[in-house]
Amino acid sequence: MTAIDALVVGGGVTGTAAALALAERGARVTILDAGTNAGSNTNAGSLHVQMQSRFMRLYPDQVPNVEAALPFYREATEEWVRLDRELGGIDLLQNGGLMLAESDDQLAFLEMKVARETAKGLAVEILDRTALNRVAPWLGPQIVGAELCREEGKLNPLLANAKLGARAAAAGVTRHTARIDTLEQTSSGVTAIAGQEHYQADQVIVAAAWGSGRLAMPFGLAIPSKSEPLHMNITESGAPQISHLVQHAERSITLKQFGSGQIVIGGGWPAHDLGETQPPTIALNSLLGNVALAARIVPGIGKLRIIRTWAGMNTTTDGASVIGRLPSADRVIMALPGDAGYTLGPLVGRIAAEMALDMKPSMDVKLFAPDRFAA
Amino acid sequence: MAETTFWFEGQDIRAKEGQSLAAALTEAGHRAFRQTAKDAHRGIFCGMGVCQDCLVTVDGMPNQRACMTLAQEGMEVARQVALPEFGDASDTISGNALHLAPDVLVVGGGAGGLSAAIAAAQAGASVAILDERKVAGGQYYKQAADGSILDNQQADGARLLAEAKESGAEIISGVELWGAFDGLLFLGQHESTPVIAQPKTAIIATGAYERPVTVPGWTLPGVMTTGAAQTLWRSYQTLPGKRIAVCGSGPLNVQVALELAKGGAQIVYIAERAPRAITQPMTALSMALADPKLATQGLGMLAGLRARGVPVRYRSELVHIEQKDDALSATFRKPSGHEDTVTIDALCMNAGFEPQNEILRLLGAKMHYDPAMGHLRCQKSQTMQTSVDGLYAIGDCTGLGGAPAARIEGEIAGRHAASAAGHSKADNLTRAHRTLARHRAFQSKLWQLYDIAPSDTAPLPDTTLICRCEELTLGDVRQGLGDRPSHIGTLKRATRVGMGRCQGRYCGPVAARMIAEATGKPIEDLSFFAPRVPIKPVAISSILAAQEALDDGD
Repeated sequence: MTAIDALVVGGGVTGTAAALALAERGARVTILDAGTNAGSNTNAGSLHVQMQSRFMRLYPDQVPNVEAALPFYREATEEWVRLDRELGGIDLLQNGGLMLAESDDQLAFLEMKVARETAKGLAVEILDRTALNRVAPWLGPQIVGAELCREEGKLNPLLANAKLGARAAAAGVTRHTARIDTLEQTSSGVTAIAGQEHYQADQVIVAAAWGSGRLAMPFGLAIPSKSEPLHMNITESGAPQISHLVQHAERSITLKQFGSGQIVIGGGWPAHDLGETQPPTIALNSLLGNVALAARIVPGIGKLRIIRTWAGMNTTTDGASVIGRLPSADRVIMALPGDAGYTLGPLVGRIAAEMALDMKPSMDVKLFAPDRFAA
Repeated sequence: MAETTFWFEGQDIRAKEGQSLAAALTEAGHRAFRQTAKDAHRGIFCGMGVCQDCLVTVDGMPNQRACMTLAQEGMEVARQVALPEFGDASDTISGNALHLAPDVLVVGGGAGGLSAAIAAAQAGASVAILDERKVAGGQYYKQAADGSILDNQQADGARLLAEAKESGAEIISGVELWGAFDGLLFLGQHESTPVIAQPKTAIIATGAYERPVTVPGWTLPGVMTTGAAQTLWRSYQTLPGKRIAVCGSGPLNVQVALELAKGGAQIVYIAERAPRAITQPMTALSMALADPKLATQGLGMLAGLRARGVPVRYRSELVHIEQKDDALSATFRKPSGHEDTVTIDALCMNAGFEPQNEILRLLGAKMHYDPAMGHLRCQKSQTMQTSVDGLYAIGDCTGLGGAPAARIEGEIAGRHAASAAGHSKADNLTRAHRTLARHRAFQSKLWQLYDIAPSDTAPLPDTTLICRCEELTLGDVRQGLGDRPSHIGTLKRATRVGMGRCQGRYCGPVAARMIAEATGKPIEDLSFFAPRVPIKPVAISSILAAQEALDDGD
C-alpha cells in the first residue's frame, strides 16, 4: 500500500471518520467542508437500529431497502461502540430502544415488524404493559405495549464530534472551509473546484450528505439526496430516569435523556428550509406538536422546561446508503449514509476509506453501490 | 401590613403581602437558593427573571424563579437541586387559554410600554399590555408591591400606571412570553393559563438587563446586579444585606447606593470605573444643559452619599470576590494599583446594559452594533417601526436610551401603531420628536462621562466563570476558541457556552466579543447566538396547553 493524497468533501461524522481511517493508514488527507447546515452539528445522538415507523409511513416504497440494510445498522452501532472506546468515552449507552404502541392496531403493527426484523437477526421483542412497567414506569397510562430493540442507544454528539475531530487532526488530517462547486476527474487524479480554488488529489470521498447528489450529477448519476430539516427540543436537567431511546409506532417522535439529565425531543417534525446557505428556522406547529406528543407519552416530564429548540438536518436518499466508486469516475467514492446518517456515518466513512485504499471492505456493501442511480 | 407564612427547607418564613420569595428569603437571611450540578450555590442575581439562578422548588414544581414568584401562605419552598425528580402526571397547566387580538399589543409595562399603551388607547385603538412582573412599572419606575410611594420617581411611575389603567388599555401582569412568530403571533403563560396573542400591530418595549462585572466570584450568593438590589428595596422594602459594596459604572450605581443607605444599609465601598465627571468639564456641561433637572439630581445624589460619609472611588474596579464564612470579601483595585479589600454581605454590580431584544431578533428585525454601548441597536424609522411590518420597538430593548426617551418613543409608537391599525392619524408629534432629540442628546453626553464599554477579558484569569448556567470558565472558552476561531455557533458546540437556562444572556455577549477579537471580524447581528424559541424557558406542560388551545381554535 502506498500513501495517497485524498480529499474528503464534507466534514461531518461520515467524512471525518473516512479521513481518520485514511490518515491512520498513512494517507495525506484534506477535508473540505462548506460550513453550513451540517447534519452532524445539529444531530441529537440517537443510535437507530430498528426500522423507524416514521420512515416506513412516509416512504413505504423505500422500506425494502431499509429492511435489507438492517444488519448494516447493527454493525454501525458496533462501530460507534468501538469509537466510544477509542475516543475515550462519548457518553454512549446501549440501553435499547422502545417503540411505543397506544392501541392494539399499533401493537399488531409492531408484532409484524418484530417478525421481519428478527428474520434479519435483530434482537427485538414485544413488551406488554406489565413488562414495560418494570423498565419504563414513567410512560403514560395509554401505552399498551412496545417493541424493545436491545441494540439501540444514544450518545453525546457534541462530545463525539469534538473528539472525533480532534483525533483526525492529531492523525494529520487538515481541514478547509470550502463549498465545492464541482468535481473533475483527470487522467492523473481528481480536482475539487470551489470558486477560484482548485484542490487536487488522487481520489476524493464525497461525504457531503444532502450536497452529494449535486456533485454526482455531472458523472451521470441521479442520487436523490435531499435535505430534510427537522425540529429538535431540549429541556433543562432532571434526575436520570429514562434510559431507553423512545419512539412511537405511528407518530413522529424520538425522546431520550442525556447523561446531563436533559431530555431531547425530536423525531422528524419539519423545520422551515431556507436553502443551502441559511440555517433552517423553527416551525410553530412542529414545536407544539412534537412537545405535546412527548408530554402525552411521558407525562412526568411536564414540569421540566424546554430551554432550547433548533433544526437538525437530516438527509434522505432512497432509504439505503450510497457507498462505492462512481461507475464513470473511479477516483470518486461516494460515502452517503442515507437515512439515520449519524448512526451509519462512522461505518460508512470507514468503508469508503477502505475502498479508497483498495482494501477489501470490512462489510459487503454491493447492495449500496452508486450504479443503481445510473440514468 | 398583612403577613403570610411559607416554608423553606422546613423552616417557617414570614413574608410581607406581595413580597417575592426572593425578597422574603433574603430578609430571613437566606442567600443560597439553588445548588448547581457542580455543587456551587447560587442566589438572587438579576432580580428580574433573566438569569435563572434564583431557582427554587415551589410546591413540588421545580425550577421556579424566586425573584418572580409571589410568596403565598403555606407554600412549600425547597432549595433547587440540580437534577429534580420528574413529577407524576402533569397537573400544573389548566383552564381556558387567554386569547387576545388587540389593535395594538404592547410587550413590556415599563416607562415606554405604558406610555405607548396610553397613546394608542387615546387614539381609539384596543390595547393589551403584557408585563412579566406582578406589578407593572418596569425597572425604572419599579413600583412597591404594597403600593407605597418612596420618592418622586416611584410617584411618577404610579401616575403613569394609573393613566394607563384609565386609558382603557388592558394590563395583564405576570405574563411570561416564550414564543414570537411571523404574522405576529405571541405565545405565553399567565399563571396556569396559556396566552395566545394575535394583534394587528405590536410594540416591543422589553427594556434591558444589566451587564455584570465578570470577575472571579461574581456568581456567589450575595453578589447581584444593582437593579436586583434596587428591586429588593423599592418593591419589597428589603435590604440585600447590612454591609454593601457597589461597583461598575453609571448613574444607577450611585442612585441605588444612596437609596440603600437611606434605607439603613451601610455602604462600605463604591467603585466607579470612570474618572470623576469634573475631569471632562465640557461634556459634563453640555449634559447639564441638555437636561438641567436630571443633572442636578445626579449631583444631589453624590452630595447625599458624601453627607453620609460614603465616598465614591473613581477609576476603581472590582478584582475578585470570595466567600468568607457568612460574608463576602471583595477586593477592588484603585488607580494607584493598590487594592482595598472589604467585608460585606452583598455586592451590587452594574457595568452597563444589554437590550432584551430576543423578540425583535426572533421576528427578524434588523440590528446593528453600537460599539460605544457594546450592544445591538434595533433599526427603527421615525415612527418607531422596525424593519418588520407592523412591529414597533421602543426604549432600551432597541439600544440603551433611558426611561425619559422611552416614554416619548412610546408616545410616538403608540400613535403610529394605532394609526396603522385603522385609528386616528398620527399627527402633531413634532413636539414629541423635539423632546426626544433633547433626551437623546442628554443620554449621549451622560454616557460619555461613564465607562460602560464592555471590558476586556484578557486580564482575567482562566478560572473566571463566564457561562453561569453551564459553569464554564474563561479557560474553557479560550480553549474552545482554539487555533482557528470561527463562529459563535462553533464555540457553543465545542464548549456548551450558552446552552443553559439563561440562553446565553450573560455569556453570549462575552463570547461574541472574544470571537470578534480572535477573528478580527466586526461584531454584527450574526455574531450573537441565533435567536430561537423559547424566548424564556417554558414548561412542557405549558406548551401542551398552548397546543390544545390552538387546536381548539382551529
